[in-house]
Amino acid sequence: MTDILQILRDYGLLLLVGQYPNGPLGGLAITFAMAVLGILLAFPLGVLLALGRISPFALFSWPSTVIVYVARGVPLIMLIFWMYYFLPVATGRPVSGFSTMVATLVVYQASYIAEIVRAGIEGLPKGQMEAGRSLGLSYLQTMRKVILPQALYNMVPTLLSQFISTIKETSLGYVIGVNELTFAANQINTTLLTKPFQVFAILAAVYFALCFSLTLITHQLERTVTARRASAPTRGVPQVQPAVVIASE
Amino acid sequence: MNTMNHASAASPLISFEGVNKWYGDYHALADINASVGKGEVVVICGPSGSGKSTLIRTVNRLEPIQKGRICFDGQDIHARTVDVNKFRSHIGFVFQSFNLFPHLTVLENIMLAPIQVLRREKTMARERAMALLNRVGLAAKGDAYAGQLSGGQQQRVAIARALAMDPPAMLFDEPTSALDPEMVGEVLQVMQSLVRDGMSMMCVTHEMNFAREVADSVWFMDEGRIIETGTPDEFFARPQSARAQKFLTDLRSH
Amino acid sequence: MGRLDFSTILRGDHLASLGSSVLTMLELTALTWLLAMVVGIVLALVRMSPSTLMQRAVAVYVEYHQNVPMLVQIFLWYFGISTFLPQEWQQWLNHHGSEFFFAFISVGLAMGAYVSEALRSGIRSIPSSQHEAARALGLTFLQSYRLVVLPQALRIALPALISHTVLLFKNTSLAMTIGVAELTYITREIENESFRTVEIYMVATVIYLAISLTIMALGSRIERRTSLAGR
Repeated sequence: MTDILQILRDYGLLLLVGQYPNGPLGGLAITFAMAVLGILLAFPLGVLLALGRISPFALFSWPSTVIVYVARGVPLIMLIFWMYYFLPVATGRPVSGFSTMVATLVVYQASYIAEIVRAGIEGLPKGQMEAGRSLGLSYLQTMRKVILPQALYNMVPTLLSQFISTIKETSLGYVIGVNELTFAANQINTTLLTKPFQVFAILAAVYFALCFSLTLITHQLERTVTARRASAPTRGVPQVQPAVVIASE
Repeated sequence: MNTMNHASAASPLISFEGVNKWYGDYHALADINASVGKGEVVVICGPSGSGKSTLIRTVNRLEPIQKGRICFDGQDIHARTVDVNKFRSHIGFVFQSFNLFPHLTVLENIMLAPIQVLRREKTMARERAMALLNRVGLAAKGDAYAGQLSGGQQQRVAIARALAMDPPAMLFDEPTSALDPEMVGEVLQVMQSLVRDGMSMMCVTHEMNFAREVADSVWFMDEGRIIETGTPDEFFARPQSARAQKFLTDLRSH
Repeated sequence: MGRLDFSTILRGDHLASLGSSVLTMLELTALTWLLAMVVGIVLALVRMSPSTLMQRAVAVYVEYHQNVPMLVQIFLWYFGISTFLPQEWQQWLNHHGSEFFFAFISVGLAMGAYVSEALRSGIRSIPSSQHEAARALGLTFLQSYRLVVLPQALRIALPALISHTVLLFKNTSLAMTIGVAELTYITREIENESFRTVEIYMVATVIYLAISLTIMALGSRIERRTSLAGR
């Protein structure tokens, strides 16, 4: 136990912010930055992919379907290697590990979000689209004003849940040398060598503290939403819950 | 009996010329030739599966056709130059299951299309929506949501929503079939008031009294064809075809 | 990028390592899946016990495994917990594929948590009246669960279980970080030796996709076969 406290005292800052201010930012700060960027960019992309998936035009549905299937059927670590080698080729410039990870996380999470949004859209009665079209609204207008507001009505707990997954997924940045939390812990372990259990136990505890508190907030949010819906059962939306809890991590 | 017979055979508002539709191998609509004049009220009836809903849904292009022509106000509705959204804004459609937008208030439901499609200004759209709500007898319900209304009230809002676009014609697809019996009357009353104001209408319905009182013509359909047409008096008193006779007997025996 | 040339990577030795890496991956997936299912079922049953201590213990287990990244769990087992094992065990393991073993343990125990949640959700969605009706007929507690509640609960939990199976399959690739010679590991090795990056990555992607899609298709088929009319 004293070991653990000792490690925390000596290396706690390394875990939290890397070598900043004497060097680049690292550790938990980088983990958090990647996760926030990842989920913020993944959400709009996910909605676009969902619309692409249901589009009757092969030009949109084909690439969207391929992206979603590949991102969900191939391990994340494999996607990271793909991106690591091909982003520099595609952009013609060197790409940092951080950017590679964020790009991968965006595509990965967007694919999961796309399926959730798609389930939400397809769960709505067909009459909603028909009614919108019959009034003279275009497909996109009906999507924007009638379908998506209903399908995305309860996305906040879902997005929070995907955010928690993203935090866990950032740990894979380790394999391409991104200086995030897991990488920092490994550095400490290689330095100390004699206390692997303590180091990795601390690592697990930090992730746990972060993710578990976010999980508790998500549960609370879900309870609030359910309570609000129970007291005003008639306002708003026929709740469409995706039947599958699509865990991405 | 509709005594104000505005039916003008010279320039029909809606016309079907040789219309055919297949779902795969199933011949849903066969050789439909008919027309609806300006100010005319047509009731379409027939046994289930006869193609009545399919026919009315072809008019605002909710269902495509494979053969024939449908004209609205003299123009082929499937012509390349037709903007389908603009076209649909000229025809009001009322669904059997109302299809109100549950995430919007009643007023917002009515105002949505006038603002988005007709580009009306918000305050004007709201005033118009209030007037229409008043007309269908629901002036106090503007801020309610669909879920808080009864079926009959929801359908009346749906009618107001369609009317907000100022269409020259209204299509009703079994507007009262999903309603509890005690609410049917309030919806039919609204429809009758529309007729009195000269609205052109196609209505698929089982409500035979409504047909008798308000329709100019009755089209009887079976197996995708229009078997018989006539004025309500003619049709109900002296149905010509055996199938129509059977249909009316079955209906009456309920 | 030049033309694609698959001939180098499909040469004898590379092909052999590809093949054996796929086998390793399938082995690891199958064994881990079994562990996860057993753990999941045990946890779900324990959670139903009246003892709040037991319920809390399972809850803690589940929360831990769902909130700590899989990679970190693997590291903790392989680098950390392994040092607490008695020397003889450690030596035995080192000679018999300790990497494989620790990957198997860590992923299996973690996915067991997900499985138990899926089962718990399925069981909770069966109204207690079903259980009561079974007991009223004279069935014991265990019989009622085995014959009436669980069959229905499993059907409801099936989509989630399929999704977790795919996730488990993908998680086994993390074993490469501790040196297990599964598909991703060998892919990088072949890539280093042959420099045919696009080709080998494409092959690996196709293999992964094929297996994921097979699992999902199998799952759908099972779902359809076992679905009850009207449910």
